Amino acid sequence: MSTITVEHVARIEGHGTITVELDGDRVRDVRMDIIEASRFFESMVVGRRYDEVSLITSRICGICSPNHAVTALKAVEAAFGIDVSPRTVALRKLLIYGSYLQNHATHLYVFAAPDFVGLPSVFPLAATNPDIVERALLIKKTGNELTTLVGGRPVHPVTAVVGGFTAEPSVADLKSFRARLVSLIGDTVATAELFNSFAVPDFATEGDMLALVDDAEYAFYDGQIGALTSGARRPIADYRAVITESVVSHSNAKHSSHNGRPFMVGSLPRLNLSAQLLMPRAKAVAAELGLAAGSRNPFLNNPAQAVELVDACERCITIIDELLAMGGSSRPVTVLPREGSGASATEAPRGTLYHGYSFDANGIVTAGDVITPTAQNLGNLDADMRAIAPSLVGLPKDEFLFMMEKLVRAYDPCLSCSVH
Amino acid sequence: MAPRVVFVGLASDFGCQVQITNMEDHLLDVLGTIDLVYWQLASSGHMPDAYDVAVIEGAVTTDEHEALLKRVRETAAVVVAIGACAVLGGIPALAGTGDLEQRFATVYGAGAPVARGRRAPAPVESVISVDYHVPGCPIDPAEFVRVLNRAVRGLADRPAEDPLCALCKTNENLCLLDSGQPCLGLITRTGCGAICVSRGRACTGCRGLSPVANLAAARVVFADKGLDPARIDQALSIYNSYGEAAR
Repeated sequence: MSTITVEHVARIEGHGTITVELDGDRVRDVRMDIIEASRFFESMVVGRRYDEVSLITSRICGICSPNHAVTALKAVEAAFGIDVSPRTVALRKLLIYGSYLQNHATHLYVFAAPDFVGLPSVFPLAATNPDIVERALLIKKTGNELTTLVGGRPVHPVTAVVGGFTAEPSVADLKSFRARLVSLIGDTVATAELFNSFAVPDFATEGDMLALVDDAEYAFYDGQIGALTSGARRPIADYRAVITESVVSHSNAKHSSHNGRPFMVGSLPRLNLSAQLLMPRAKAVAAELGLAAGSRNPFLNNPAQAVELVDACERCITIIDELLAMGGSSRPVTVLPREGSGASATEAPRGTLYHGYSFDANGIVTAGDVITPTAQNLGNLDADMRAIAPSLVGLPKDEFLFMMEKLVRAYDPCLSCSVH
Repeated sequence: MAPRVVFVGLASDFGCQVQITNMEDHLLDVLGTIDLVYWQLASSGHMPDAYDVAVIEGAVTTDEHEALLKRVRETAAVVVAIGACAVLGGIPALAGTGDLEQRFATVYGAGAPVARGRRAPAPVESVISVDYHVPGCPIDPAEFVRVLNRAVRGLADRPAEDPLCALCKTNENLCLLDSGQPCLGLITRTGCGAICVSRGRACTGCRGLSPVANLAAARVVFADKGLDPARIDQALSIYNSYGEAAR
């Protein structure tokens, strides 16, 4: 028996190793070893004040920190029975979409695109295809500036607190940002066309696909938990009954299952469950890319991310229009801690993110629970690698491993998130 | 010859490296002045055997981290620590107090098979000497560029030393202590532009204590403002729990 590995897979966040065990030409096992060290966030918040929770747990991830912050705040508010203003909700949505634009542009252009054009990184592209790199940086920058507009900076925004915001953007800034989003739509459509031009391997995952669903909108801020195959619709508060976590020996990240099977979260599951609720231009682009029909190919997660870039631009324009029209205040509402538990979920760029906390009567955390998108995806990724490997064993070793890495990167994993 | 630079990630959320990629307009300019020989976050390939400058993000949380840092120190002429995790221990160090076994049991369940040489989280300087520091959670990319420029030119590390309060006065911010918020600006190392306080959010001390911080006086100020002086220690423990007992 022989073993081949890719140590410290590049162009992903965090440290992971792909291990392939071969018995002659037969693949005995393929797996993603998560060597990123455990970080213990769920135990670190115990004993902390309710108003410190989002600051601490948002440090799980520097990419989707707005999602972690907002999800933690919503869980605290659920525990205390706090309703926030529509204005606060709208601003939080912008904060989250800032991280979508930033994450999807970074992942598509910096992490994934080199795979499709046969380069080790995006840097050589700056010399050969400066227009592509400029477009990537423009989308990413616009996302960062959206998060900065609402939150004060692109990584770990500072203004979102329990009950509301400590500061909000001016009307003039919102209006000028709206104009930039209008002009960015063309760049996001071009991104979708670029990824549509890349050939993807023919493959279908056997796992289910989970995402938040909502009758009213392409769900990302709230809703119910939806499953594509099982057809389940469950309240977010029941997430522990929908998702079962288990400890596996080769990974410091837990694996997840739904109805006893691994499943996928992320852009493709969201698109499969909510395609009819995409904004008009995004819906047209999804149709052009042939993505509206419940695709099971995880390699199509990249084109699905591109569709969501278009959708994010259109939706943020709508949200800004609502903000400009609605009035009201985002000042933090009065917070009265009470004993109890609260759970919440949002759709982070990489998939559904769950936070749950319990508090004593003084608002001190007694228990914390976080399930990140990557922790949900790792079991399905292992299953997909095992499923695709036998069809690739004839390839030279480099190409075989390259395909494995490409599959890993299609999932856009965040391993530092996964070992939170 | 342009200095050869590697980026090394220990236990962190990668937010500081993301901040560096967030210098969209200047990123390629900065990269043009250095020879970036290894950046796992952005490129395929392995860490080379020779380089001049090592930029390190994250806290030390495993025996592998310690071994890696010792190798880096032997190889690099210059070591730059970036972010609260690497400089202070930061938020990861919150997992360094109490019983590690109990933390495993809380997160994974008792007896789970996931050890991996885990140790109490600590700043980079607890293992090797560090030549340049870029504090903050996350770092300010402009400050990173300034420090990196000093590092590649061999100029001395010149971290800001005053407490943040003076900057707030310059920015004409209302004092958050007056509205009952436990702001740590009066003892925290300045240089962040008061990005939080200027937006109504109390300073949480992510840049570490100013070397001229007067904790005793700060407790008196808290009491004068009607805040429990113990809130200073509570707030300070978010980023500054490593070595707390020594203060």
